[in-house]
Amino acid sequence: MLANANRLTPYLFLAPAAAVMAIALLYPIGYMIYASFLDWNPSQRIGEADWVGLRNYANLLSDAAFRESFWVTIKFAVLVVSIEMVLGVGLALLLDRELRGMTLLRTVFILPMMIAPIVVGLVWRYMYHPTVGTFNKVLNDLGLPSAPWLSDGNWAFASIVIADIWQWTPFIFILSLAALQSLPRSAMEAARIDGATGWQLIWHIKLPLMLPVLIVTALLRLIDAFKVLEVILVMTNGGPGLSTEILALRISRTASEFRELGYAAAMSNLLLILLLFLTLAMFAYTKLTEARAARLAAAKEVEVG
Amino acid sequence: MFNKWKLTGAAIAVAIAGAAQANPYEPYEGTTLVVNFPAHPHYDAAIAVLDQFTEETGIEVEVDQLQYLRMRERQTLELTKDEGDYDLIAYVVFSKADYVYADQLENLAKYFMNPALADPDYDQSDLISGYVQNIGVAGGAKGYLPGQLGSAFGVPFGSETSVLAYRRDIFEKHGLEAPETYDDLLELACQIPELEPGMGGMASRAASGHQASHAFLLHLAPLGGRVFDDAWNPIINNEAGVAAANALKTIVDCGPEGGTTFGPAEAAAAAFRQGQAAMFMDSIAFAATFEDPTQSTVAGNVGYAMHPMGVRRASQTGGFGLAIPSNAQNKEAAFLLLQWLTSKEGDLAVAMEGGNPSRFSTYQNAELNAKFPYSATFGEALEFADPDWRPIIPVWGGINADIGTTLSQVLTEDLDPQEALDGVAERARATMEEAGYYTWADAE
Repeated sequence: MLANANRLTPYLFLAPAAAVMAIALLYPIGYMIYASFLDWNPSQRIGEADWVGLRNYANLLSDAAFRESFWVTIKFAVLVVSIEMVLGVGLALLLDRELRGMTLLRTVFILPMMIAPIVVGLVWRYMYHPTVGTFNKVLNDLGLPSAPWLSDGNWAFASIVIADIWQWTPFIFILSLAALQSLPRSAMEAARIDGATGWQLIWHIKLPLMLPVLIVTALLRLIDAFKVLEVILVMTNGGPGLSTEILALRISRTASEFRELGYAAAMSNLLLILLLFLTLAMFAYTKLTEARAARLAAAKEVEVG
Repeated sequence: MFNKWKLTGAAIAVAIAGAAQANPYEPYEGTTLVVNFPAHPHYDAAIAVLDQFTEETGIEVEVDQLQYLRMRERQTLELTKDEGDYDLIAYVVFSKADYVYADQLENLAKYFMNPALADPDYDQSDLISGYVQNIGVAGGAKGYLPGQLGSAFGVPFGSETSVLAYRRDIFEKHGLEAPETYDDLLELACQIPELEPGMGGMASRAASGHQASHAFLLHLAPLGGRVFDDAWNPIINNEAGVAAANALKTIVDCGPEGGTTFGPAEAAAAAFRQGQAAMFMDSIAFAATFEDPTQSTVAGNVGYAMHPMGVRRASQTGGFGLAIPSNAQNKEAAFLLLQWLTSKEGDLAVAMEGGNPSRFSTYQNAELNAKFPYSATFGEALEFADPDWRPIIPVWGGINADIGTTLSQVLTEDLDPQEALDGVAERARATMEEAGYYTWADAE
């Protein structure tokens, strides 16, 4: 009896946390999944909405605008994360040294990611403004023609990519820098003694050692990039046409402008599934590296033994 | 002596009657009304006179002001609650269908029948009938057009039609005349950038979504088109539809730089008011801001003409109405505010602050015409205000957004107008089918 009680004790202590999780996490997701089977407009209460089964999902597959916005999202996420990784890691490698005023510099570097997204959107929108914006003014002063920053599909896409890079490169920079500074000094010293040049040091020692952190960082950014909304909402509201209409924005417009909450819920579920895969990939990778490290450690012990 | 008493008695009787009559507001004194208004020149003017209302009635008013599309989203959520936060709302005209269909607005009949609330001097017949039908009445022909069985759920307040504003100084300089027809308009729109380098022909809304759709529909009606025929079949892709899309494209192409991202504020405020465009055709609501020298560099140089004619004259009908939500907590006091704001005195007071009249008497008021000389043109334009320039039906939100997104592709990605509108028509048909608009046609 007592043994039984002892075995149950941990679960008892876990119960409140589990209950909070169930309410705070599972309930909203369950609600969203339920809603995705409904034909529900925001003027109705959920109880008044009609059950339509899988119709929302079936419609999604044949919805050209949704497919377009899906590709815009993928293109956007892959592009910004790749560029941010290169820039962020590069900056970290450059600044991984004792410099005067380094603390201040680092704070300045991470400033963009601390600004509220709506403000970022507004600031960039005004900088891109066709006549009074900073960029076109500079171009005109240099005697160059104005660029259609937000008023042409391809330019607008490039513009939101630039804004996102400006805002999120610091995130990668700061994580890479932390990773760099926690690398074992011995490995680097050994390499230097063996005559490795700076490039070789980066290429063969630093980057491979940083890789686990970099992969997790990239995945975190990727997940985030799939959900970005406010900056683009303020800058272009998805236009011109559908050129910058990323999925999160499409979902928001479907709910508010098209007034189809069920359809928006179905889209959100697809996005959720996609992100779930990415998260699983991240976990799988962590597990894999841990297993590899354990295997190496075991092998080492055998060698030593 | 006796006479004196009689007189005093009469004076007292008059005083009592006067007190009873003069203060229908007394039972509601000290009430605080929460109202939801759009950020819009007309409502800025309305807010300016609210103090006067509080002074006269003792009813306090708290205003929650939002950009009009955000306001609509907020209201949509607010109206589904059991107890709403808003006592009075200003709704944008295309919300009429959504709210009335979901049974979320008070039918105003019972208030106008209540002798303690209804002001005998209100004079309903003075309200501009086109606006009342378009904004306030639901349940007539097709559900949203004038018809015998409609009834009022709101009262127009901040109602608008479209006029053409143009730069008189620029037109005079080059010997140009304000365009009478669409052919003239389009020719001028592209002629001006050549005559005045750096200046766009006409500033227009064109941003992806609602704004591009609004701009397109503005040209569709005068060019002879409609979104649906009488049996709800989409005809937006007929010849008139393509002509309207091409007209919009011409206007935006010859318009000020960056025009494809403009909402009404950018087109009116940034472009026209700062002298970057020679014409602006949109709601009359912006006129007051053009004439305000603290905001506008073109004050005093703006002429106004009727919305040019295509195959017919058809200016837009739009703007806002005031309504009482079914879940409001102070409905009677809210009605008193609604009545006060839309009364002859209220309408005039708001108009004098730069608002848009909803009453014939206000347009005829000499004082107003002296302060805002364009009022006469606007009154004239009302005659051709077209209540059917866009359908106000519950599924309109989705179709409207689709039109606007697709047209934005026409404007920026060189999508062929015919192809674009064919796609819109096909998707609109599916939406209408799903919503049951072909139930009766199919049965035949």
